Amino acid sequence: MSATWFALRLGRWGIAGFAALAFVSTLIQALGFYQVAGHTAAERAAFGQSMSVLASRFTVILPPPIRPDTVGGYVEYRSYGGLALLFAVWALASASGAARGDEERGLVEAALATGLTRLSLTASRVLAFAAGSLVAALAAGLGLILGATNGGESISVGSAVEAGFVLAALALSCYSLTLVISQLTSARIATAAAGVVLLSLFLVNTLSRTFTSLISVRWLSPFRYYELSQPLPPGGYFDGRATLTLVAIALVAGAAAAVAFAFRDLGSPLFRWPARARSASYDGLTSPAWRIAVLRGVWDRRLGLVVWAAGLAGLGAIFVAMTRSIIEPLLSIQALAPYFGGFVHGQVYTTFLGFFWFSVAQLLFAAFAITQVARWSAEDADGRLELILSNPRSRAAVVIERAIVLAFGAALIAAAGGVAVAVASHYQGMNVPNERLAGATLLLVPFALVFAATGSLLAAWNPRATIGLLGGFAFCSYLITEVGPFFKWPEWVQDFSAFKLFGTPLADGIDRGGLLIMVAIIVVGFAASILVMERRDVGA
Amino acid sequence: MLREMAVMAIRTSKLSKDYRLGRGLFDLDLVVSPQEVFGYLGPNGSGKTTTIRCLMSMIRPTSGSAHVFGLDCRRDSVAVKRKVGYLPGDVPQFGSLRGREVIAYLGGMRGGADPKVVRNLAERFDLDLSRRFREYSSGNKQKLAIVLAFMHQPDLLILDEPTSGLDPLNQQEFYSLLREAREDGATVFLSSHILSEVEHVCDRVGILRAGRLVKVAHLEELRHIRVHRVELEFAPGSIVPEAQIRSATGVEDATIADHIVRCTVRGGFEPLLEAIRNASVTSLVSAEPSLEEIFLSYYSETGNAGALPE
Repeated sequence: MSATWFALRLGRWGIAGFAALAFVSTLIQALGFYQVAGHTAAERAAFGQSMSVLASRFTVILPPPIRPDTVGGYVEYRSYGGLALLFAVWALASASGAARGDEERGLVEAALATGLTRLSLTASRVLAFAAGSLVAALAAGLGLILGATNGGESISVGSAVEAGFVLAALALSCYSLTLVISQLTSARIATAAAGVVLLSLFLVNTLSRTFTSLISVRWLSPFRYYELSQPLPPGGYFDGRATLTLVAIALVAGAAAAVAFAFRDLGSPLFRWPARARSASYDGLTSPAWRIAVLRGVWDRRLGLVVWAAGLAGLGAIFVAMTRSIIEPLLSIQALAPYFGGFVHGQVYTTFLGFFWFSVAQLLFAAFAITQVARWSAEDADGRLELILSNPRSRAAVVIERAIVLAFGAALIAAAGGVAVAVASHYQGMNVPNERLAGATLLLVPFALVFAATGSLLAAWNPRATIGLLGGFAFCSYLITEVGPFFKWPEWVQDFSAFKLFGTPLADGIDRGGLLIMVAIIVVGFAASILVMERRDVGA
Repeated sequence: MLREMAVMAIRTSKLSKDYRLGRGLFDLDLVVSPQEVFGYLGPNGSGKTTTIRCLMSMIRPTSGSAHVFGLDCRRDSVAVKRKVGYLPGDVPQFGSLRGREVIAYLGGMRGGADPKVVRNLAERFDLDLSRRFREYSSGNKQKLAIVLAFMHQPDLLILDEPTSGLDPLNQQEFYSLLREAREDGATVFLSSHILSEVEHVCDRVGILRAGRLVKVAHLEELRHIRVHRVELEFAPGSIVPEAQIRSATGVEDATIADHIVRCTVRGGFEPLLEAIRNASVTSLVSAEPSLEEIFLSYYSETGNAGALPE
């Protein structure tokens, strides 16, 4: 039992953070519903109809909503769909950290030395995450209930609990799957390998709504079982069997992880390639790449950058294909022709591709910037920064080099994505203007730098709190674009959002005002982080 | 004054870093000459690492100043670090980077390290640079940190508990390396909490306690405060030379029970060995007390709360 308490203590910030995030997300969406859905039955019906049309464009990411004209249906669609992804990411980070990160920090060795069995240790971690994710998932239900109550309606507590239980079951299944994958790989690639598997399982399910050939394999995906329940809207349903399947996946994968853990050495994967016999090498590297500022940082991150670039290029090509397959059936509907003509001024594909692709690309670039900032704060916590600063380099030089390396990496990834979208759209026969595409793609670089500058300032001020605060900043930034228009927030408030500043460059061109504000944030953020960095103690 | 500062390898003046609650470093006045090997001794938490971090400009002193070769550690930190090789108290984590990549990465920040020097150091410590950092044992991680500190042949080596994690053979190799560095003109500032370690290599020693420098002495002077706890066992039926032992110079607190003698020896062992020369000794065990024990012993005897004897 003490092992479970210890595991809960290790993960307390994650539990608190995700509980707060889930609560705020559902509360704001519920409050927002009453701002935008109207008050009469006719207004609600019209709103529900327009939401259904809008949602039909996003079935590639989220399942179609049930009764979006009700607060339950609206929040189920707007919040719980996104929370499923966020909870999966949380499970991925927690499980790979518990399986291999804690091992590298010596926590696993210390725990096993107390006489705890490997089975008990694994079970305690799974149990702690189950409890934590359930608390966070129930917080989402609480936010919905409070939001609905504020709007003069009531939501069944039972439905909210069911929705929370399904969300927690999904998170737990992702946690156990990550746990078992982490036993099979080296610590170095555990998170990446589990991330690829979870992303594949997510895409298998979501893409099966567009590409029917995937329907036969979507039973493999936990996300499929999650979507089979939508208990919040009137007429919604809770699929007990699907939820039990999620729990079963968690138990089986957790047991497999415990068995694999029992059969492997600490610090090693379950299966290893036989080591080649070789003599010790005492020679250093002579490559000039390590001597050139910026280049050495890029070279050090080369593997990660290649993976990001390849991933973004692949996703870009997929989104082009999806855009075509979604839009073409809509274009064939005669009744919609005037609507499209008026709305997109003849640039149907460009408008929709800009909307589909760059929405996802923004999220990915924000994630890329956050991973790089996480590295900066880890350098500080691990003592690497102390060693870097023991070389004849000023703190300002360190901050500036970090910024340039990140900008270079973002440009490289953006270029790969942009080229993939250009080539794919050309082969799909979609007339996307290359100049606009290049401009929109390059705009992703300052977009990423906005998060980097904010993260740099946070890392200079308090490296341990950086990732939590930067994640909160990204969430708030996204939330502003989501709810700012609903609540009619002033334009200057909405300009705090990097997502708003990015605009819709593929359809409408680059918003120069937004770009100027982004550049100002970048300059001020990095300059302030240099000043803060100069004044703070390192390694103390 | 300025000329004098320029020739000193390290000079601090009233250097303080106050972490509150009595923790930190207080009013440190210290001078280390060029080509000197200076041992910086103190128990855990006495302020050794805080001093080193102030010299390296990792932390800002609350008051006072520190200079290295006449350069202000804060204002001229980049120029200072050009002259310094640094080994931190905790070896940082470099994850999946190989040893040679860590060297190339950090060496690159100095414009590159001489491959011959790197190879020589790695060979001396039998450090396989092709292995990943996370595969290294703690001793090998420490060896890598030593290579990083020495590879650019700096004028001043600032080493925070450098032998931590090294086995005795590698410790000896490290002491040889220090002597060679000194012969080549380098100054060494080395922190430790082990008295015997600094005896191997240091010219002078500074002793720190609760953030205050309580003693700076040459190695010879150090022997006056150096004590050992000794236990001698004599053969059953043989005569125990009790009077000779009690009267031997440096022997204190002798107790005799059965055929076992327990005592404290201050300074060298020669008088005690002379006293038992003709006796039949079956076992002789000598243990070095911790620095804290030495301090406590000294303070309890003299009631001196300020400083050790000059």
